[in-house]
Amino acid sequence: MKKIDRRDFLKVAGGAVVGGGAGFVLSGAPFDAFQWVVEWTQDQVVPSPGEERFITGICHACPNKCAIRVRMIDDRAVKIETENKGCSMGQALVQWFYHPERVKYPLKRVGKKGSGKFAPVKWDEAIQDITTSFNKLRKEGKADSLAAITNPHTMRSTLLLERLLRAAGSPHLYTESCMCNLSRAAVKHLYNLDGALCYDLENADYILSFSARLLEGWGQPYSMHKAFLNWKKTDAKLVQVDTLCSRTASLANEWIPLKPGTELTLALGIAYHLLRKGKTSRGTGFADWSQMVFNYYTPDNVSKITGVPIETISRIAGEFAEAKRPLAVAGRGGTGISSSAAEIIAIQTLNDLVESTGKTGGVSIKLFSTLGDPPADDIARASLEKATRSKGLDDFIASEIDPGILIINEANPVHRSTHGKKLVEKMQRTPLVISLSTLINDTAHYSDYILPTLTALERIGESAPVTRSQSLCAGEIILKIARGIEGVADAFPWSSRAEIDFPEEELITPRTRAYSADIFKEHLKQISAQQEQKEYPLALIPFEVPAIGDGVGLAFPYVLKSIDGKIFSYDKLWVHMHPETAEKDGLSEGSKIDLISKRGEIGSVRVHLTKLVAPGVVAVPLGFGHTSYTKYGSDKGVNPKEIMTADIDPISGTADWWLTRIQIS
Amino acid sequence: MMKRKWGMAIDLDKCTGCGACQIACMQENNLPIFEDDSDILKRVTFLELMTVTNDTDADAKYGEVKVAYIPKMCQQCEGDPAEPRPPCVSVCLVAATDVGDDGVVSQIWSRCIGCRYCMAACPYQARVFNWWKPRFEGDFKQGLNPDVSIASRGTVVKCTFCSHIWKRERDRLIAQGITDINAVEYTPACVAACPTGAIVFGDLNDPLSEVSQLAKDPRAFRLMHPIDDKDESRKKDMHRYGRFPNPKVYYLTSQSWIRDLMRFT
Repeated sequence: MKKIDRRDFLKVAGGAVVGGGAGFVLSGAPFDAFQWVVEWTQDQVVPSPGEERFITGICHACPNKCAIRVRMIDDRAVKIETENKGCSMGQALVQWFYHPERVKYPLKRVGKKGSGKFAPVKWDEAIQDITTSFNKLRKEGKADSLAAITNPHTMRSTLLLERLLRAAGSPHLYTESCMCNLSRAAVKHLYNLDGALCYDLENADYILSFSARLLEGWGQPYSMHKAFLNWKKTDAKLVQVDTLCSRTASLANEWIPLKPGTELTLALGIAYHLLRKGKTSRGTGFADWSQMVFNYYTPDNVSKITGVPIETISRIAGEFAEAKRPLAVAGRGGTGISSSAAEIIAIQTLNDLVESTGKTGGVSIKLFSTLGDPPADDIARASLEKATRSKGLDDFIASEIDPGILIINEANPVHRSTHGKKLVEKMQRTPLVISLSTLINDTAHYSDYILPTLTALERIGESAPVTRSQSLCAGEIILKIARGIEGVADAFPWSSRAEIDFPEEELITPRTRAYSADIFKEHLKQISAQQEQKEYPLALIPFEVPAIGDGVGLAFPYVLKSIDGKIFSYDKLWVHMHPETAEKDGLSEGSKIDLISKRGEIGSVRVHLTKLVAPGVVAVPLGFGHTSYTKYGSDKGVNPKEIMTADIDPISGTADWWLTRIQIS
Repeated sequence: MMKRKWGMAIDLDKCTGCGACQIACMQENNLPIFEDDSDILKRVTFLELMTVTNDTDADAKYGEVKVAYIPKMCQQCEGDPAEPRPPCVSVCLVAATDVGDDGVVSQIWSRCIGCRYCMAACPYQARVFNWWKPRFEGDFKQGLNPDVSIASRGTVVKCTFCSHIWKRERDRLIAQGITDINAVEYTPACVAACPTGAIVFGDLNDPLSEVSQLAKDPRAFRLMHPIDDKDESRKKDMHRYGRFPNPKVYYLTSQSWIRDLMRFT
């Protein structure tokens, strides 16, 4: 055997080192190591893999109840598949579900009210504390000072909440402003029924929309999209009356621009032509009413007030009268609706005149249902007798009533109502405010207790994804509270929500109707007073932004990322103005201004010049300016509700904030 | 061999600007959340819902102007059909972006060195740069899609027609024993989310597919593509010498102002 000399040894050793080194390099290990260093130094997130599966269910975020599919990776929900249904909110469900600021446990206030300091408590403890306060209040004979504010979309928990209040002896349940409760007042007035207007938009063939931004979140987004596609198929005509060239106005077959806030006048101007054509309606007071229209709402007069040419009004009236299934739609706005009851009545009268009420493609009345009369004890009966209910939410907030206990069910009236600031004062005085909410919003911020509820994704069905939080369905929470109140527990014999037989929706055609000329007599004077205000020369008109609606979407980062740069950018909100209006005040694109109304001042906002907005109008996006709505939604822009008109409509008890006279500085 | 050429047709007459496509895209592609996403120049979106109006026209008047929404994503340019070469691919130094034989312009985040040449070359501003580290706070990490890696700071990203969904569907077919890649069909996230069905996706090589039919519709146009009016042989020549992007995303509208505005003619 050859002896290994030094030279051979070095060769072999050198070869091994070189070979090993080459192998190491070629194996890819250094690249892996480098990748690891990159990931580690950049603190990169790597989504964990897992087994894919799909669960199906129903989205209960709105009454549309779209069928959805959730893509799951092991137990994580990663995507909502809506299969060309649903809406933008449906896509944001995952971020709502996993929001880092979800309320995970019942929270009790520890700091001063409104300081935003809360500490987690056990469910039993919270319910015990709350029911004790209820019992004490009822024993003191102050059951009528119980009050609750609810979100119009939470139908079932609202029914339970109403039953809880009535069984305890309080009539004070109020719903945030929506088409349902605004038209409720109009329906009561016109037909003496307790219901809301329900439009069969999908089957109408001539849709005359009075600033109802049908394709911008109005009503239920998916059914509106379905109706829109159907109109295209059936060649239906959509005529949009609006001061701004909204998305709906642009997609409509015809856009009729009008002076701000004159929708009611235009509706009666069209009624004038319908009456001339011999259209009539049975109902008490019709003669007086038509006389009033003939006297005051003449083509000249209406054209002068609304700015719509006389020929256009008569042409639209003619087309409306001759269409097979005409439908006039009230409810100004997209997600946040604001119309006076008188305006809804005037527009609904057009439907009555062309006999669209109760027909396919027309309008019917959806009756409000309850879970039946709850058994009432002596305390409840006595308290219900002495209590007087306010007409609506804003009426309640402005009233002298100081609640002893206030329940807020998934609502955010501090941000959404023009009386939000007053409500804060009221909540400061209220000994116990309970908020049922998924996130701490502007209203929950001032609560004593925040009880965590479920997001729409957790309510899609039996196999719905779950988090480790202690959230409960709002209905279950209300049941829990109700069962702990002496004298109220009997009204809630159910052990869970599943046992309750919730009523079905009922649609009816009204049989009688009553016309009143009185409510329109003052209208012309008010309008001309408004139009002639020298001190506040401009009109503020709101509009809504896709996916944000009236503010709900702002908590979700993916919604924030989708906002147009001329609506919100670099932490500044933009308002839209016609170049002519801006020129008068020496403003140019991007100028910073403040908006001032009789009620106050907000700012600063930037100006975007566009001819989509009428001269003399400032269009302001809604939904911004939250004081507390997670770190993502807070302090973004300004909330125009702070300066918008807060005059309360005498029929609906809700502020009609659509048009506000302002000046800028 | 891949026989398909994926393309898209978006009917603007049906688009209501609801924004569902945009949010579906962000959720599917794990788009980063930054500290300030109101920084519109630096935020990362693959699909941008552009607001366009004709109010800058000289004779524009209130009452006559209109507004529309245009969902704009990577237009998946082809360049000269004889030799596909999208403008971004030819400038990439590290082959982080390439055009596949199915026509999809790919982008591999981890290969990108962040030189941003491709962003400068892109005629549609469809590419975005990750200026910051993404922040997925708390449980937001739970909602991340494992099929798409999260781009690190300093890389360029863009829409890839959700090609990871194609891979998902391919794997599903392979599991069933079908190995023909041309049998794979899929739907990108924005298409599946559109509530009015305004976005149609499919194979442009199949003359019977809905997207091919729509691409030939008289209402169809492509963004910033002035040579579409020319006849076929002229177009062929212009493609060879003129470096036109030749995108695979078609838009449809019955309104002439949108067409005129977006074609830059």
